[in-house]
Amino acid sequence: MTDSAKPRVFLVDDHELVRSGIRAEIASSVDIVGEADEVEAATEMILERSPDVVLLDVHMPDGGGQAVLRAVMEHNTTTKFLALSVSDASVDVISVIRAGARGYVTKNISGPDLVDAIYRIAAGDVVFSPRLAGFVLDAFSTGANDQPVVVSDPDLDQLTTRERQVLRLIARGYSYKDIAKELTISTKTVESHVSSVLRKLQLSSRYQLSHWASERHLN
Amino acid sequence: MSVTTSSHAVVGTPLRPLRRGRDNAILGGVCGGFATRLGIKERNIRVIFALLTLIFGLGILLYMTFWLVLTRSGEEHSIIQQIFQDRHEAQVVLIGFIATIVLIIALLTTGSRTTGGFGWPLLLSGFAAFAVWRGASSDERSHLSEFFNSAPVIGTAFSKSRKVVILRLLIGAALVFFGLHELDRIGGFWGSTASALFGTAVLVFGVGILFAPWWLQNVRELTSERRERVRIEERANMAAHLHDSVLQTLTLIERSAANEGDVMRLARNQERELRQWLFSPETLTNAPTSFVGLIGAIEHDVENDYGVRVELVTVGDCVPDDRVSTFTAAAREAAINAAKWSQAESVSIFTEVEPASISIFVRDRGVGFDLDAIPADRQGIALSIRQRMSQLGGEAFINTEVGSGTEVQLVMPRAL
Repeated sequence: MTDSAKPRVFLVDDHELVRSGIRAEIASSVDIVGEADEVEAATEMILERSPDVVLLDVHMPDGGGQAVLRAVMEHNTTTKFLALSVSDASVDVISVIRAGARGYVTKNISGPDLVDAIYRIAAGDVVFSPRLAGFVLDAFSTGANDQPVVVSDPDLDQLTTRERQVLRLIARGYSYKDIAKELTISTKTVESHVSSVLRKLQLSSRYQLSHWASERHLN
Repeated sequence: MSVTTSSHAVVGTPLRPLRRGRDNAILGGVCGGFATRLGIKERNIRVIFALLTLIFGLGILLYMTFWLVLTRSGEEHSIIQQIFQDRHEAQVVLIGFIATIVLIIALLTTGSRTTGGFGWPLLLSGFAAFAVWRGASSDERSHLSEFFNSAPVIGTAFSKSRKVVILRLLIGAALVFFGLHELDRIGGFWGSTASALFGTAVLVFGVGILFAPWWLQNVRELTSERRERVRIEERANMAAHLHDSVLQTLTLIERSAANEGDVMRLARNQERELRQWLFSPETLTNAPTSFVGLIGAIEHDVENDYGVRVELVTVGDCVPDDRVSTFTAAAREAAINAAKWSQAESVSIFTEVEPASISIFVRDRGVGFDLDAIPADRQGIALSIRQRMSQLGGEAFINTEVGSGTEVQLVMPRAL
């Protein structure tokens, strides 16, 4: 049953309909090793089976996807998480990324795109949806609305020009390959820029990021 | 292959760090926090603090100290940490602290016996209360103000009759007046009144301790009643909205189930509307007062009229003037063009408002075309976009290639 070339995928979503929908779309291309509909069972089974990629629903009772992320990442750092959500609220996106997810896509993503995203996450890449790229640009904007931006750590609190260019192209709907062509760099370089943006997103203490994250944490 | 279990993974006792309580808090949640940590009933802890208060106000002082030092459950920093994170706050609070110390020293030197009893713990506690108010998180602050707002003139909750309240107020006022008069008679506040003050303080605390639990219970009931009422109202609003929009759409979808295009359009429309209602209610007004609102209207119209999905990403926003409106009109043409001709299922629109310029990118991954061999009818559209952009002092680029889609880039300087 196990095909070593296929990534081992675990589904976490509290809606049976959504799980079966996703299963139908990706089952032929990946190896689904299990699924769960609540935080505790998900945590336990993910730790037990250590899949390559977990498709994680952001909104669930008992703390949602973030609770699973925290509980699993304490013990297991090889499993990677791709967050799935129906909402595009910036608070959701930013907080789940800051909790450790390596990518974020909305649930209306097409089957082939989802499979592609899973393979990229499994290979260690980062998956940014156009909208996520928009949020990041917004969050790291240099203050178009006249609010002063306090930069305490320039390495983490600011994006480089190149990173900005890459994010803009993602927001414009370009694939990594298109971006590489447009900027005449290699796809690997594009990936490394995106990874570095993800790192900044997770570690920066910029007001807007920590504010969004704590807002969600309190709820 | 798929397994779903609901078994429990966590074994052993849950970790319970000492945090100030949130759900079991009356004031600061200190007693609730200890109760959770030690696994004792909150009431017992409260009694212990009340008894400690009898020893020269020690209970109150301890309570206030814990309030400042302990982190509230669900928050990241204690109040004292929050204060010292903000330089201005730290200064204000330090000044308050110094003033309190000076006051205590002054009292010690002028009337040593005054401060011998309840004086200095009370003053310190008063300062602590001030610090709590300055440093509390906004959430805790709203909890506190709700608590104090719902505290009526003490006792109104007990006896609802107005006569009794008036009677109590009269008696209370008379007693205070009499007490002040007595103080004055025996030599004023700074005279040899330490024992009188001490006695009064003990009395006040005695009464407070006797009646506080009952009073607090009343207050809590009031607060939860009010919360419940707000919740019910919110639910009613939500239900009304869902009925007007979602339910109507679902009925329409059932009716036109045979027509795939219609179903798709209805579902998308509803999805967009619900999203907007949930996540950005500020853009709901009919006349768009923001650039993003104008672009949102393009998304709406293109999806509705052409059945093409629009992926909209916006960064930054501004108040639209005439130039911005012309600019968005050019973008609208580009989007409609893509929806009409590209044969792509979706069109991406990306907008970015920067201090000096605004850019809009309209991209599809459709059939594309050969720029040099455009049919006349499409040349017209490209021309009109270009003309508008040059009017605005901006630029329009069209990147296209047969088979790999089209991207229209529009850039406009914000000031001429």
